[in-house]
Amino acid sequence: MFASIPSSIVIGVDGRPVTVEVHVANGLPGLSIVGLPDAACREARDRVRAAVMAAEIPWPLQRITINLAPSELRKPGATLDLAMAVGVLVAQGEIDAEAVRGLAFLGELGLDGTVRPIAGIVPLVDAVQAPTVVVPSSRVHEAELVGGPEVRGVSSLRELVDALRGRGPWPEPSSPPDPPPPPIVPDLADVRGQPVVRRALEVAAAGGHHLLMVGPPGAGKTMLASRLPGLLPDLDRADAMAVTRVRSAVGDPAGHGLATRPPFRAPHHGSTMVALVGGGSDVLRPGELSRAHAGVLFLDELAEFGPSTLDALRQPLESGVVRVSRARFQADLPARVLLVAAMNPCPCGEAGRPGRCRCTTAGLTRYRRRLSGPLLDRFDLRIEVLRPEIEELLGNDRGEATVEVAERVARARERAVARGVRTNAELDGEALDDTAPITDDARELLVTALRSGRLSARGLVRIRRVACTLGDLAGHRGPLGVGHVATALQLRAELAVVTGMAA
Amino acid sequence: MSPAAWSPAEAAPSRARLDEEAASLVALAMIDGIGPRCLEQCQEQVGAGRAWEALVGGDVQRCEPLARRLHADARPAAVRAAREIDPATVLAEYRDRGIRVLVRGRRGYPTRLVADLEPPAVLFTTGPVPEPQVPTVAIVGTRNATTLGRTFARRLGADLTAAGICVVSGLALGIDGAAHRGAVDVLAGPLEHERGIPGAPVGVVAAGLDIAYPARHERLHREVALHGTLVSETPLGSRPNAWRFPARNRIIAGLSDAVVVVESRAAGGSMLTADEALERGVPVLAVPGHPSAPAAAGTNALITDGAKLVRDVDDVLGELGLALPSERPVGRAAEPSAPPRPALEQLLLDALGAGPLALAELVAVGGTGVDEVSAALTALELSGHVVANGGWYEPALPVERMVGR
Repeated sequence: MFASIPSSIVIGVDGRPVTVEVHVANGLPGLSIVGLPDAACREARDRVRAAVMAAEIPWPLQRITINLAPSELRKPGATLDLAMAVGVLVAQGEIDAEAVRGLAFLGELGLDGTVRPIAGIVPLVDAVQAPTVVVPSSRVHEAELVGGPEVRGVSSLRELVDALRGRGPWPEPSSPPDPPPPPIVPDLADVRGQPVVRRALEVAAAGGHHLLMVGPPGAGKTMLASRLPGLLPDLDRADAMAVTRVRSAVGDPAGHGLATRPPFRAPHHGSTMVALVGGGSDVLRPGELSRAHAGVLFLDELAEFGPSTLDALRQPLESGVVRVSRARFQADLPARVLLVAAMNPCPCGEAGRPGRCRCTTAGLTRYRRRLSGPLLDRFDLRIEVLRPEIEELLGNDRGEATVEVAERVARARERAVARGVRTNAELDGEALDDTAPITDDARELLVTALRSGRLSARGLVRIRRVACTLGDLAGHRGPLGVGHVATALQLRAELAVVTGMAA
Repeated sequence: MSPAAWSPAEAAPSRARLDEEAASLVALAMIDGIGPRCLEQCQEQVGAGRAWEALVGGDVQRCEPLARRLHADARPAAVRAAREIDPATVLAEYRDRGIRVLVRGRRGYPTRLVADLEPPAVLFTTGPVPEPQVPTVAIVGTRNATTLGRTFARRLGADLTAAGICVVSGLALGIDGAAHRGAVDVLAGPLEHERGIPGAPVGVVAAGLDIAYPARHERLHREVALHGTLVSETPLGSRPNAWRFPARNRIIAGLSDAVVVVESRAAGGSMLTADEALERGVPVLAVPGHPSAPAAAGTNALITDGAKLVRDVDDVLGELGLALPSERPVGRAAEPSAPPRPALEQLLLDALGAGPLALAELVAVGGTGVDEVSAALTALELSGHVVANGGWYEPALPVERMVGR
């Protein structure tokens, strides 16, 4: 008459355990679902009934009530279908209650009784409170990544019922899918010339410093940014799990197997705010920011993004998480990214070179106003990218290869870890004198720069962090010198003021 | 001035009649479709009052200049607009706001413009326009100027003003604004009595005097009006149409004893000012630049065509006959007292002489690594020889700090 089946749902990138309670009693025949199901979840009523009948099991002509506990949490999607069907069969007596003890169920049902794959298997399996979990057979390998409960796969309700009744074996999991071919990461050696950008990419990778590239169309900003992930080291276990969870939660088909390399995401500038930072009122979905977690988020044509979209990035960039709060629930989406942005210097794109640009002052001002100061402030590295000289393009001298640079980056990152942070960009501003001391000469240089207005107080901490990374890359021991600070200063260009005498 | 307009019978017209004439001129200037040339012909050939009567009466054919120059399509609108205007009220409003209405042929009208090729029939000013005995020099140039160009214009504006010369300019962004900023620096600063009376700046604008264009120069507008005068041939309340700017340039040229072009591209608006000056026999001077710098293409071309080269204020004063070109020691600009610089810094500084460069280009010039060039640039920046503007580096005149105070 009664059954209680454990299952789970996904909110953002986290799973939440849900208990599916089924009560079958005499009364007007029908099925009602209570406990805040959303539209897709409520429609399970018809799917479950059809699937049970397709499994050649009679549908009870009784009153069926399904409760989804905890009842104050909204239940999105169809992940609970399988648990509901099993609950009905147990409550009806078709399956022995003992047979499902310790089993949790995840999966969507088709009208013909097939068990369909669902997105978010990794967080779902992580959240179930049972020693064994039954998932769609094509998701067994994904579910096993969690390393938690024992995983069983089924491909149809009939198969499951047979196994639970002891009339058939649990189906053997299919052989793991071929590992996807390793993504082709373009090599830094293909870049001709561009010493400044190379240096900036290396520093960004080593210290986790956000990078802004300003340059005309055709200068190779995208080409350069796509080479940054190759410089980053492999993900550690915790990050790999976090990246895999996000991939799973968004149903990324590439998400077979544990992610090992940092992701690279390059959303188009037409992206909405929700697409970028995540959210949604009913179903909370992670945005591009979370999909780039522990990797690189590349925003090309930064000035073309909506101003409010960009400003929504500010808080996550600082804290590393997107905290989404709704009336009924609250969730944290991971958002620790290395932000790389590219933009044209001005609407005409003519290099922005003083004395050559054809833009009207008003047009320039409008263009620049699209980027808020606080956002620009988040970039530790701001460089001008020029179109490479023709001789450089045709020349044969290949630059330093990715592997060589990546090795330096890895060594520099080790030194940051020894300081107790993941990267130097996270160094505490207050404690910089202890963690990254500088020589008296370097301090004097900073004082002069501050006094002349060349450096802002807010920029000071960022310059010192970058200087620290420069020292790490060079394997420098002892307090940081004038050279490190001077280079950090030049790698963080102030954004051009609109020319003209503003009195 | 045709003899008919100044026959003995009209030699001493009453004040009321003169006011009526002035009021009619202002009213005519307010009508869309009546430009400076039409206005001048109306005044000269039939008299502004008669032209105004013809317009209000809807009988444009009666007034020959109007019939010829006012486009047929614009006439109905012009007549309608004219019927809305009461010339006497308009003139009274100008007087109430303290704006002088200078009519050609009457007292107060700038002497330099009386015999101009295209004299404005009426001018609006906030103060007295310099008399011929007070030397005037126009400083003009591109709006999209380099830091170096703006610094030079500012210093030249300051030096000329201090030497008692009125700086004429258009109050545009870039060079124009910088020149007047320099002039105001001197006038707002402590007076140096031994140098005599400083010159009063003259800002010739294309919009009505009550509209500061560009808006970001609003403060500069007020300061120029305070220390000198603003001049416009556009009635109050009019936004500047595109054609007003070249028309404004002819007034700048006409009011000046010499025109100095500081920075201009090969086809810049300041080249038009130079042309206007040449047509009027006003000497044109130009500040040279590096051959590869686009901002100097126009000025270098002017020098090739015979314009005098300007290195500093003495070159301008020499042209005006106010000072002998001083005996310059060769290489004076090299600051003999300056200590020798490290080779890399000197190399970078020399490269920047050709115009603004980005870090990547300077690394190529330096032939060393990013770190070494950055260190050298930081040293140059902090010693005031180089200015970073966006990712671009420009040479700076150490004088900027002196002028900027």
